[in-house]
Amino acid sequence: MVRFIVRRLLLSIVTLFIILLVVFALTRVFPSDPAKQLAGPFASEERVAQLTESLGLDDPLPTQFFRLVRDVVTLDFGESFSQPGVRVIDLVRPALWNSAKLVFLALMITLPLSIVGGIVAARKKDTIIDRSIVSFGLASASIPDFVSGVLLQFIIGVQLGWLPSISNAPADAGFFGQLEYILLPALAILFVYFGYIARITRAGAVTALDSDYARTAYMKGMSTSEVVRKHVLKNALQPTVAVTGTQMGYLFGGLVGLERVFNYPGLGNLILRAALAPDFPLLQTSVVAVAVIFMIATLTSDLIIAWMNPRARLDVGEN
Amino acid sequence: MDFKRFDLMRRNVGPVELDLIESYAQKKINRRDFVKRGTIVGLSAPFMGAVIAACGSDAAEEGAGTDTEGTGSGAATGTVGGNLIIGNQFGDANSGLDPATMLDLGTYNVVSQCFEYLVGLGDDGNIAATALATSWSPNADGSVWTFELRDGPVWQGSGEPLTSADVAATMDRAVEFGNAGLAGVIGEGSVDASDPTKAVITLLEPNGNFPVLVSLFNTQSLITPADYSTGTTLDERPDGTGAWKLDSFDPTTFVATYSRNENWWGGSTNLDTIELRGFSDIGTAVTAMSSREIDVIQNFSVIGGEGLLNDDSFNVLTPPSSNHRQVPFNVQQGKWNNPQIRQALAYTFDREQMVNTLFAGRADIANDHPITSGLPFFDADATPQRTRDIEMAKQLIADSGITDLTGTIECGDLGEIPEFAQIIQQNAAEAGFDFQVNVQSNSTFYGDSWCPGPSETDPNLPCDGSADLDIVDWGHRPTPDIFLGAALSSGGVWNGSNYANPEFDQKLSDYRTSVDVAGQKEAIGSIQSILHEDAPALYAYFFNYLAGHADTVSGVQTTALGHVIVSGASKDA
Repeated sequence: MVRFIVRRLLLSIVTLFIILLVVFALTRVFPSDPAKQLAGPFASEERVAQLTESLGLDDPLPTQFFRLVRDVVTLDFGESFSQPGVRVIDLVRPALWNSAKLVFLALMITLPLSIVGGIVAARKKDTIIDRSIVSFGLASASIPDFVSGVLLQFIIGVQLGWLPSISNAPADAGFFGQLEYILLPALAILFVYFGYIARITRAGAVTALDSDYARTAYMKGMSTSEVVRKHVLKNALQPTVAVTGTQMGYLFGGLVGLERVFNYPGLGNLILRAALAPDFPLLQTSVVAVAVIFMIATLTSDLIIAWMNPRARLDVGEN
Repeated sequence: MDFKRFDLMRRNVGPVELDLIESYAQKKINRRDFVKRGTIVGLSAPFMGAVIAACGSDAAEEGAGTDTEGTGSGAATGTVGGNLIIGNQFGDANSGLDPATMLDLGTYNVVSQCFEYLVGLGDDGNIAATALATSWSPNADGSVWTFELRDGPVWQGSGEPLTSADVAATMDRAVEFGNAGLAGVIGEGSVDASDPTKAVITLLEPNGNFPVLVSLFNTQSLITPADYSTGTTLDERPDGTGAWKLDSFDPTTFVATYSRNENWWGGSTNLDTIELRGFSDIGTAVTAMSSREIDVIQNFSVIGGEGLLNDDSFNVLTPPSSNHRQVPFNVQQGKWNNPQIRQALAYTFDREQMVNTLFAGRADIANDHPITSGLPFFDADATPQRTRDIEMAKQLIADSGITDLTGTIECGDLGEIPEFAQIIQQNAAEAGFDFQVNVQSNSTFYGDSWCPGPSETDPNLPCDGSADLDIVDWGHRPTPDIFLGAALSSGGVWNGSNYANPEFDQKLSDYRTSVDVAGQKEAIGSIQSILHEDAPALYAYFFNYLAGHADTVSGVQTTALGHVIVSGASKDA
């Protein structure tokens, strides 16, 4: 197991290096000049040149890339282009934390509901309950998160006034106060992922319920709930765990539309602003943050699967 | 008419003021225009009232200061205490909280809560002696303006009083940064600060509208301390003489919080604290206002704002507005070099459709120049209103000999501009134009497409590399000096069309140096004709600026440049 983890970490470093290279290359083909953007439309050519030099944008590309790698390794991501004097980490950290709160709340709501929905659908396979859960899930997953966000905002936030329609919690709001403000976007995420996760869970549960070991458990006299709890879940949830791990990167960095609708200062919004500015250090650091989260999430999901599945555990140990 | 009284007042004024008084007495201008112009040249309200009384009131005339509805919601008499939340436009990341170089409504509002202007805002939406200057007056030809500084303003940072040295340093910084309103108007060292209570400003040439150029309508002219170094931002060095002190600013959320300035010259504010909360999206701000998660909304559009407009518990504010969207051609290159093809496009515009579709009628049709009809020097007879005429457009295209009618309309994603671009595209297609529309983020548009920078070799290309055809957002100014000077004069710093017409430049100079209404009207009439004919840029409408607040709030003043003045506001508990 330790060897597996070490091997995965080494692989992650290589992956991270490739991501850095790709992000670096993409930012350097941007059509706009960051120095000109920062200097403003009325700056003189001399001022733009000065800024270009001070930002190191006229250094050879390998030098700039080496500087990026050094910054990542030393965890000193430099200063923002668009907000001179402000450290990039001071911009990314709060955005990351905001996204983490939203993702955490969304998963706390989505996972139990989706798993239960999938298990129920599997147990009631080919009944109206099964069809309803699958159809509802398909429909809700078809609606983009920001669209369901707008609907929830209008109905629950504006018309009914049950929850805040904008996710700007006051600075002195406590933990639960903050959760109140992000409940609506979390529900929008639920709408999108319920169908997806419920269907995957259903598929895994159907396979598990039809398996020989499940039939044996029934014949041993176990009740349905015992069979589900002790035998089906561990097997049915492995795809669910895998999918959740792979979606973490999107949940952290891809909810731009939803964050805009709710005016929520998450990582998605920050990445968008960095891309538009263009603020290379901020953009690079934000993308690296998303990549690291993705790698941690997939490693974690692999370890959870290994714990759930003794055969996977053996494979892991051998590898 | 009380001739004795009138004569007495005539004897005690300078030539500039005299001309204005005479114009009013001879009914060349109405009472509203007299008050507007009188405020600009520095006549006090009691004096103007006395002139009006001496001339005899006319029931048919519009009342002074009563026509500009919705600038503010009245003096605050409500609850003392509380926090007010203002939904604010998210400031451009590259703009920064630098009073000298800020460029967008979001940042103007944040910075102007702490710093103040020489000339402030009156209840009628016109300029008034409500800020750092208590009065001003010109010399005989309007080339030297003397501003009496208010006794009482002190800097939040040092506790030192405001002096004319601060004004002098601010004006020098404005010259250094090419302040759009003051470029070509003042030079370095223009302020005589020998008397700390008086700023005597010598202009490069006479200008009858100078007080407007040092008012809140020249947004980057906030007065900063003499030792304020170039590039200093408000969040780096919180300071100012204003009613509010900056407590915190979060650039990632664009949220700024303020507390009452206990040493403000205007006394104690009703509110304890205020918060400006940035919104990237106007729709989201409207939602927040609808659900009362904010108390005041800085700006919203008719499109998407129907809920607020129909909300009985929401007070709509419509300050005087010459807001418009300029459609400049890059006249120095390609087919747009030909005035016939420019006119052809102008004739495809269905201006009524634009006003009704984009603003539900809350806009006035324009006539391809930036002079609003409400200005005292507007010449209603200069040019006939251009209306949609597809046959004329086709004829002009044929006469021009140009066959390539393709192009791209570049624009930012602000307000109704993308929809405006689509309407232009559809309207123009009927005459054979084939346009694409490219909508960019506002910061990208203003960085790359519009006026990327001056040519290094040709002074007539102040905006070398500008898009061939784009749509530019212009905020309100009470006089068109910036619209004409910065945007259209040869070498103008914001001249995205690279228009260079010596006749236009001369007429502009005539207008600026005229200190009498008749002279201004003659010059402006010529300008209207030149622009209408040459069409270096098209102007389809002037739209109402919409802001507002919950009915539990009172005492809010707004300008069409995004200022939300809440020093006199209060909020019911």
